[in-house]
Amino acid sequence: MEFSRLRKFTALAGVASLALVAAGCSGGGDKAASADNPVTLTVTTFGTFGYDDLYAEYEKQNPGVTIEATNIDRGSNARTDAFTKLAAGSGLSDVTAIEEGWLGSIMEVSDQFVDLKEHGAEDIKGNWVDWKYKQGTDPNGRVIGYGTDIGPQALCFNGKLFEAAGLPSDREKVAELFGGKDASWDTYFKLGRQYKEATGKAWYDQSGFVWNSMVNQMDEGYYTKDGKLNVEGNKEMRAKFDMLAAGTADGLSSNQTQFDWGNGKAFVDGSFATHVCPAWMLGTIKGQLESAGGGAASGWDVADVFPGGASNWGGAFLSVPKSSKHPAEAAKLAAWLTAPEQQIKQSAAANNFPSTLEAQAKIVEAAKPNELFNNAPYGAIFESRAEGVIAQFKGPDDSVIQENVFGPALKMLDSGKGTADEAWNEAVKLLNDLVVNN
Amino acid sequence: MTTTLNRPAASRSAASKPKPTFRQRLNVFDMKASPYFYIAPFFILFALVGLFPLGYTFFVSLFDWHLLKGQGEFVGFQNFAEVLQDRFFWNSLFNTVSIFLISTIPQLIMATIIAAVLDQNLRAKTFWRMSILLPYVVTPVAVAMIFTNMFGEQYGLINNILSSFGIDPVMWKNDTLPSHIAIATMVNWRWTGYNALILLAAMQSVPRDIYESAAIDGAGSVRRFFSITLPSIRPTMVFVIVTATIGGLQIFTEPRLFDPVAAGGTARQFQTTVLYLWEMAFQRQNFGKASTIAWLLFLIILIFGIVNWLISRRIATNGDDRGIASRRRRKRSSVPNAKADDAGLTAQAAAAEPATAPESTPRSGQ
Repeated sequence: MEFSRLRKFTALAGVASLALVAAGCSGGGDKAASADNPVTLTVTTFGTFGYDDLYAEYEKQNPGVTIEATNIDRGSNARTDAFTKLAAGSGLSDVTAIEEGWLGSIMEVSDQFVDLKEHGAEDIKGNWVDWKYKQGTDPNGRVIGYGTDIGPQALCFNGKLFEAAGLPSDREKVAELFGGKDASWDTYFKLGRQYKEATGKAWYDQSGFVWNSMVNQMDEGYYTKDGKLNVEGNKEMRAKFDMLAAGTADGLSSNQTQFDWGNGKAFVDGSFATHVCPAWMLGTIKGQLESAGGGAASGWDVADVFPGGASNWGGAFLSVPKSSKHPAEAAKLAAWLTAPEQQIKQSAAANNFPSTLEAQAKIVEAAKPNELFNNAPYGAIFESRAEGVIAQFKGPDDSVIQENVFGPALKMLDSGKGTADEAWNEAVKLLNDLVVNN
Repeated sequence: MTTTLNRPAASRSAASKPKPTFRQRLNVFDMKASPYFYIAPFFILFALVGLFPLGYTFFVSLFDWHLLKGQGEFVGFQNFAEVLQDRFFWNSLFNTVSIFLISTIPQLIMATIIAAVLDQNLRAKTFWRMSILLPYVVTPVAVAMIFTNMFGEQYGLINNILSSFGIDPVMWKNDTLPSHIAIATMVNWRWTGYNALILLAAMQSVPRDIYESAAIDGAGSVRRFFSITLPSIRPTMVFVIVTATIGGLQIFTEPRLFDPVAAGGTARQFQTTVLYLWEMAFQRQNFGKASTIAWLLFLIILIFGIVNWLISRRIATNGDDRGIASRRRRKRSSVPNAKADDAGLTAQAAAAEPATAPESTPRSGQ
């Protein structure tokens, strides 16, 4: 508290002195920041980003730079915020975080963002896993975002509930149970039915996240590689949808509300026993457990296995909009924040998984256990889960399709208001209404 | 304002007088023009932040206009045609009207009753009056968050209480009617006190001697309420109803926060028109259609306002039925007169319109 107030104060002082400087000399525009040429940089992030300490460190290392940070509660609200400001043509922060899910929309207007190649992106290109760097590159080869974290998916499970149902609770045994390298959704649902029979409880929190994971691990998701919609008549996708619908119909879904979970109570009261876990989800679950008064004793753990093979969900980028008054300084900050050293610190603060190779290696090496998740060596687990991830092409309406097209259809299943056919037809109908004929 | 009526003699004598001095002319100018200058700030501001956006929104509605990519092709009224055939638009309109009816009607009845009670000789008057206004002080976001928590389907307070009585939990978010009731509850909680206070102010200005003489004539308190109070607060009532209508049709914050993920429920169970507008603009990124919805909403509010005004004019007329009857008779007997009467009313309605300027500022509650 004390700390943030102090920063607010310095920010104010910074703004005031900036105004003085601006009045004193004209054309101080994009000169490097120094004690004589103070610069205030704004940063907007979302969810659990873990940057607070890093801002202070950067300010200390770079006299004259003041960082004004805003964090938006969740990605979808950050999307609205970013879109509104893009539409208005002003107001975007000097450094703006972009989520993978709506990167497709941003790519449509990538010319409104600074090409980071002008600020040395190519020199640090080798830092990242190559698909992450490629994702941040627009069709014209301009680099508009530095990757922060990635979302390789592992499987979270509740050891206590597993034990109670007569399943193994040791994370290695659990990984084996689900099939290890050959883990499939078939096994996942089969075990779910077994669990349901033994306990009468649900297997996963709601269908939406399972569906995201299934789609994200396909070669082509809602769009084909060349940008065409790929939902209607997609047999592979439909088969997965039916599999999920059958599981949900058998009572495997706890019908929770996404990102709400009764303020975390569902993670504490044993409503469901497994949860799909992209790395950043550990941070989300931590917040949920804290708000519901749970903790390590709640029994959550994470296993090095994922049904259907490697899958990536989410992860973010830092970009610099063209409207920034200090693009060079902003790009410098973005590069610094996404550099391996800082990614390690971010990962420690936010429980997410870095997108640079060096940071990944260091985290695996450090083998710091995650106390909340039964001391799981999350570094090694997610490093292993990141193997074989492919960067799926995300189209302009990807996040709309995920939330507004399949969201309602899956809710139909969860609340038992429709069969697989009805839900799929609803999704197709929504797709036509919201995306095709928009 | 009183105006001096015809004084032809004076004006004629003015003509024969010597030319007015500069100071006199300045005086006249001051008399005639100053009032307009005094009211100008409002109208200039209104033109800037009310009229211009209204016009610009209409302009945008005639184009294919992408949120991020900006102005596209001119499409004329195609957006209007498409929105009018859009099942979600009609769904949102149904939801809006349903929430509006569920909230406004009980709200105004309650407000009137509370105001009537507060109008009695109570101890600690200020305390009671402050208490009913208290919910209004809380920001709608806080209200929505607390109520959203209470109306939670699996962990909410209300369903917990219901289940302890062995009643099945109500699907406050997934079923249409319960979700409307939940949202109406938030709206009522926030606005009942506010409206009660306005009505109370009106009731206080009713001359007390009328009540006294009515009491002497043997009228009970209920009779006095219906025959004196209600008719006397008619103008305020009309004001309250019209503002409640405008606010009710623009409801946004409560349904928006009732489901923070989707725009108004997973299957749009409680997606109001403003919320649909928002979804169209910022999720579907179709600014042209969003502007179209804004304009259609504007027209709908206009119609509702007029209908409301016509109805509320009848609820509480001059007190006894003879008033209405004689007025009707008069209308029937002299048609031109009645027409003039109506024209006057429309003019008034039009004059009241600036206050209703809706454009795209979603107002919470009411």
